[in-house]
Amino acid sequence: MPTTDALTPPEAARWADRSGLPLDAARHAEVAATAQYIHSVVSVLHEIDFADTPPAPAYRVREDVRGGQHRARA
Amino acid sequence: MRAHELSLAAAAEAIRTRRLSPVELTEAVLDRLDRTEPLVGAYATVTAERALYTAHEAEREIAAGRPRGPLHGVPMGVKDLIDVAGVPTTAGSRVRAGHRAESDSTVAARLAAAGAILVGKTHTHEFAYGLTTPQTRNAWDRGRVAGGSSGGSAVAVSAGSATFALGTDTGGSIRVPAALNGVVGLKPTYGLVPRTGVTPLSWSLDHVGPVTRTVEDAGLVLAALTGPDAGDPASLPALPEPGTGPAHPTASARPSDLTGLRVGVPRTYYFDHVDGQVEAAVRGALAHLEALGARLVEVDTPMARYVQAAQWGLMVPEATAYHERTLRAAPDLYGADVRVLLEAGALLGAGDYLRAQRARTLMRQAWEHLLEEVDLVAAPTVPTTATPVDEETVTWPDGTTEAVSDAYVRLCAPANLTGMPALTLPVGHDADGLPVGMQLIGRPLGEPDLLRTGHAYEATRPVRELARAA
Repeated sequence: MPTTDALTPPEAARWADRSGLPLDAARHAEVAATAQYIHSVVSVLHEIDFADTPPAPAYRVREDVRGGQHRARA
Repeated sequence: MRAHELSLAAAAEAIRTRRLSPVELTEAVLDRLDRTEPLVGAYATVTAERALYTAHEAEREIAAGRPRGPLHGVPMGVKDLIDVAGVPTTAGSRVRAGHRAESDSTVAARLAAAGAILVGKTHTHEFAYGLTTPQTRNAWDRGRVAGGSSGGSAVAVSAGSATFALGTDTGGSIRVPAALNGVVGLKPTYGLVPRTGVTPLSWSLDHVGPVTRTVEDAGLVLAALTGPDAGDPASLPALPEPGTGPAHPTASARPSDLTGLRVGVPRTYYFDHVDGQVEAAVRGALAHLEALGARLVEVDTPMARYVQAAQWGLMVPEATAYHERTLRAAPDLYGADVRVLLEAGALLGAGDYLRAQRARTLMRQAWEHLLEEVDLVAAPTVPTTATPVDEETVTWPDGTTEAVSDAYVRLCAPANLTGMPALTLPVGHDADGLPVGMQLIGRPLGEPDLLRTGHAYEATRPVRELARAA
């Protein structure tokens, strides 16, 4: 399960740097706090047992649409 | 009714029967714009000279017996995220200073081909990454937020400075401002309206759609926008076009008869943490649909607990990816709220993104199943009316607080995640006179059901007036 420990400003700086976005020191604390909040929101998804569920990169409507009974597909 | 107050359908009919010329209509809308802009600030750029020139052209074409259809000669605004050749697309950002679009977006080109007249570019929350549009004020109360991110489009239509407008919707950005300003907004099925030439916020969640005064108008604009486009990988192949042809959903002989329509009413999520006056207005509208013959069916909202997580897990990294280079090169040019979201997005991992994509798969399957039991789902569009401009949170009766932007996205996001069409239409006002919107969510390509239902409601209710504050 994901950690609940708060992201520290130096950690945020290091992770941002590794992802190609060097941050000025003045940004570290604010970015860490926002990233921590985003993490708290998205980490709820860890609760789901996805089993064999594939990802849906984007939505597609099936091309065999007929008579208004349209269905979606991954 | 004065010309700038006319719905698109009424204006088109007046033009068709030569009771109103495109020049008269455009001059009336521009005059209204001159009076309302100091109050509400809906426009980033006004193209008055171009509009009048195009209006004269339309007038000549129509006089020569070459009408192009209902949009011909009708003035409109385009969200300033959508390219129009020769006009800046500022995206509400200093990042775009000096920008000038080289070519039309597909939707701008289609509107031009339909003969619509560009009045100007309407304000957006910076790069559509926000729900308030701080440059613009609510058309009903200037102390309240316009909503966003298509705030300028909704306010212009509500105030009378555009007969219709285009917006974009990633987590409610058409429907939220439309609801908060008492107008109609349609987020079409994902891929139905091409996004070529539209600045993205989040590729897998972005939609373009109309903001109008009536549901009938939304169908007329949608018909001009749909169709395949090679420039947008999400663009759908040629399909029966919603809102067009002899079976136009709002052109029925008995438009108010909803007999047999199954309307899902959520017993979970959509009425939780919703202002009492909003709920009362929406439930009143549901009772009206029932009186028109619809059958109300209680339903559960699928995977409600995971809506925000999936929305953020997709939108945040996609937005950061789009802005990666400019964020590195000129971060100071972004507004503070948008900058920190983009920066923090760089810290989200591929695992989070994939979990959100897999959650989307499950969510879509669950919604498809739900929409086999009912024809559409009806619910509030937003949980509260327009908040005061300086308020950042909403406090609910149980003492919990919620960021204003989170509250406004909450009920809209499921349709972005699933790609299903969603329409908002006004269904009343709260005690402060602020508009309340009801949202209709349909099956993929179920726009005709939404338009028919919304039109039935409108056709049996008193005609709405323009916003009072503007």
